[in-house]
Amino acid sequence: MSRDQAPGEEGYRKFEDFLKHWSRRDFMKNISIGAAYTAFLAGGVEFMEACANAGSGNGPSVAAKKGGHLTQGSISDIKSMNPVLQSDTASAEVIGLLYDSLMNTTASGELRPLLAKELPKTSSDGLTYTITLRDNIKWTDGSPITADDVKFTYDLMFDPQYKAVNSPRRGDLETYVQSITVKDAKTVVFQLKKVYAPFAVNQLQYGILPKKVWGSLSPTDVNTTDLNTAPTVTSGIFKFQKWDKGQQVTLTRNDSYWQGAPYLDTFIYKVVADGVAIGNQLKTGEIDMGQIDPAVLADVQGNPDLQIVNFPVAIFTFYAYNQNATAKVAQMFSDKAVRQALLYAIDRQGMADSLYFKQAVVATSSMPPVSWAYNKDAKPQYPHDVAKANSMLDAAGWTKGADGIRAKGGQKLSFTMITNAGNKVRENSLVAMQDAWKQIGVDATPKLITFPQLVAQITNDRSYDVFLVGFSWQADPDQSALWHSRNTAAGGFNGFGYKSSNMDKILDDAVATLEQSKRKQLYFQMQDILNDEVPAPILVFNKGIWGMTKRVQGVTGGDFGLGTYTQFQNKAWMKSAFVADGK
Amino acid sequence: MLARYVVRRVVASIPVVFGVTLITFGLLHATSGAFVPGLELNPNLRPEDIIRIRNNLGLNDPLPVQYWHWISGLLHGDFGRSLVDGSPVLRHISDRLPNTIELTITAILLGILISIPLGVVGALRRGSVIDNFFTFLSVAGVSIPSFWLALLLILLFSVSFHAWGLPWLPSGGAESAFGGGDPIDRITHLILPATCLAFVYIAIWSRFTRSSMLEVLSQDYVRTARAKGMSERRVTYLHALRNSLVPLVTLIGLELPGLVSGGAIIEIVFSWPGVGRLALERALQYDYTMVLGLTTFVALLVVVGNLLADVIYALLDPRIRYA
Repeated sequence: MSRDQAPGEEGYRKFEDFLKHWSRRDFMKNISIGAAYTAFLAGGVEFMEACANAGSGNGPSVAAKKGGHLTQGSISDIKSMNPVLQSDTASAEVIGLLYDSLMNTTASGELRPLLAKELPKTSSDGLTYTITLRDNIKWTDGSPITADDVKFTYDLMFDPQYKAVNSPRRGDLETYVQSITVKDAKTVVFQLKKVYAPFAVNQLQYGILPKKVWGSLSPTDVNTTDLNTAPTVTSGIFKFQKWDKGQQVTLTRNDSYWQGAPYLDTFIYKVVADGVAIGNQLKTGEIDMGQIDPAVLADVQGNPDLQIVNFPVAIFTFYAYNQNATAKVAQMFSDKAVRQALLYAIDRQGMADSLYFKQAVVATSSMPPVSWAYNKDAKPQYPHDVAKANSMLDAAGWTKGADGIRAKGGQKLSFTMITNAGNKVRENSLVAMQDAWKQIGVDATPKLITFPQLVAQITNDRSYDVFLVGFSWQADPDQSALWHSRNTAAGGFNGFGYKSSNMDKILDDAVATLEQSKRKQLYFQMQDILNDEVPAPILVFNKGIWGMTKRVQGVTGGDFGLGTYTQFQNKAWMKSAFVADGK
Repeated sequence: MLARYVVRRVVASIPVVFGVTLITFGLLHATSGAFVPGLELNPNLRPEDIIRIRNNLGLNDPLPVQYWHWISGLLHGDFGRSLVDGSPVLRHISDRLPNTIELTITAILLGILISIPLGVVGALRRGSVIDNFFTFLSVAGVSIPSFWLALLLILLFSVSFHAWGLPWLPSGGAESAFGGGDPIDRITHLILPATCLAFVYIAIWSRFTRSSMLEVLSQDYVRTARAKGMSERRVTYLHALRNSLVPLVTLIGLELPGLVSGGAIIEIVFSWPGVGRLALERALQYDYTMVLGLTTFVALLVVVGNLLADVIYALLDPRIRYA
């Protein structure tokens, strides 16, 4: 209960009005228990990693004040504070404040040195990355951070003796890294097996662990040590204080931080039920900032105590046609006219407006518009055009039968679409697609399954007809995960079975050169091919929306303000953030 | 006598608990789920990572082997470690359990304290306006979904009261994120969720007390007591009420496992850091060991709860003998 406010007469009058009117209000419209489950199912996944420029600034209008606390609301609790094991967004957010990495990025995704003195020096053949550490970096116990610590951290994820460490990064590192060597106390050298352009952006942003604390652990102990739940020696802008499981993580100012201590005394990462609860707790001031669910945006937007920041992110929602040879729909979906016509029939702008509450933009290519590799003129485009969809299907020989459903050679244009139950936007998207396709004589039936089942369908089982899901990208424009034929193998994300030797070559060439202009040209080609082939059409790109109470200052604006690539594990804005009341 | 009865009941419950673990294990593995618990659609995860991590976690072993590993650990009192975060399952439970107990005990106490008087008054004033009103409340309590009531209360007592400048109640969590944790702070956080949870108990138990009371009031010994010239107050409270509470004890005893699981929905809506929310979160992440550990734990509580109810029942009613 608020003890600092005297109840006002106005308040009681409003309470009486409320009592009179509450029965007429349609609470269920905005508040659904479904939202609570969404959070656990897939919400966290979507927000794994994101991209681009910061929105409206709230740069310090008053002089920065020392002291006070900032509470951020999150729909998921963290799982671990070990950067080697982490794979979820919530953990990454806290780890990023505890352990500095070699590099980080600006809000728009440009690589910047952090523990490293400068950007990595690459050899002329592009295979050797030499990284020199800063002189003034130290652990919270006062000892310097050295090249040994860096090598040790990467060994946990890369060296064969640590295979028992459950790091999700081993596959990538083993594929690209030949060796990691310590040249001197401040210099470490990564020798690659082949030129791999995304290396620095993708692999040099893991938090570095102190060898003297972790070095004595056996590989299996690394998975289970108490250091994962209560780190002792760290290097980041904040220090660990406590983790009340299911409740909050409390961090305190690191006075010996090499960039200087933050203004804030305390940062609290607080678990909140769902998007609705984030909105509520922002309004009551129980939390100071949190990511806003588009469905509750209208509700918080007009609140005089809150400020809203939004920016584009590198997350898209797409659906895919199962083109695997084993799929019963493979034949109908191998017809390009069918794939294209179905996309023409969908009113994506309508979807973005009504299902995403205008917090999404219609995709014009597979590349996030915030990326330097985005081709805004990718061709062809697919504006909503039912007549064109109909005529394309007619021309391709898919004619309507007595039941109004198109068929060709005895095969009906009839299939099911799957997505994860609980994600209201996705559920509603399938219904919108069902309606749209019915109008062109296509019979599509939505079916909802759990999120893990959906992932298993996409990566392993592959017995679905059409799936719909979200996917998020890192700052590097490489999209091999979805479009390269090698990822049609079990466990890969090209679960729709798109195979094109031309596409494979473009993707391989694009990561095998460090020359950005050349890469850009290749990714432009990639986008044109995908727009023509539409193996898995991109519906919309999502937006990142954050709400903050007015007392939070110094968070946005500049290269390191809150933005596409600085909202989660890289919270560089913590350096300038402060609370106006100093509490 | 009592000791032998208890021992026999405990022995008889072993197959029950064993069966629960077996069914839970079977169901968990029958649903096709995440290939690596806790690791989701991660574009950097490679197929070889999935195979390696599954091997490390023992998930590629044949199911009987996996079950044997788990159950033999359990027999040594080891509930295993979470597959998602590697920490011991028992530590997770013991971290969360006090919060859940705090919430459910408060709700049950509120339930008892409010439902018994309501039931008694309803029985004594049968058919009156007040009785009809209590009936209406009970029906509402049973039929209003608790999550809806919870959201309504949050909207009113937290968000709106805050906006109107009235004293307001926190909308979630067990204590304030910053500077919280003192008893007053915890109690203010407890009010809304405990009220929501108690609402259902009150609805059910007050009906139960009412009908049980009505039945007892028509018994011969009540008539005898009145005939002896005993005051109506003594008849009502000494004879009738005490006897009418016997069946209620069973009902409340059955709520003992609910101490752990009963408030899951309420815990979710109020971001309460309890065991129920833990169970749901981890079920959705396919944290097999955690879900198994929790169900086993609850199964044990059901057994203990029933046993305890039987014993109290016998103490309250000497006619009941341990057969």
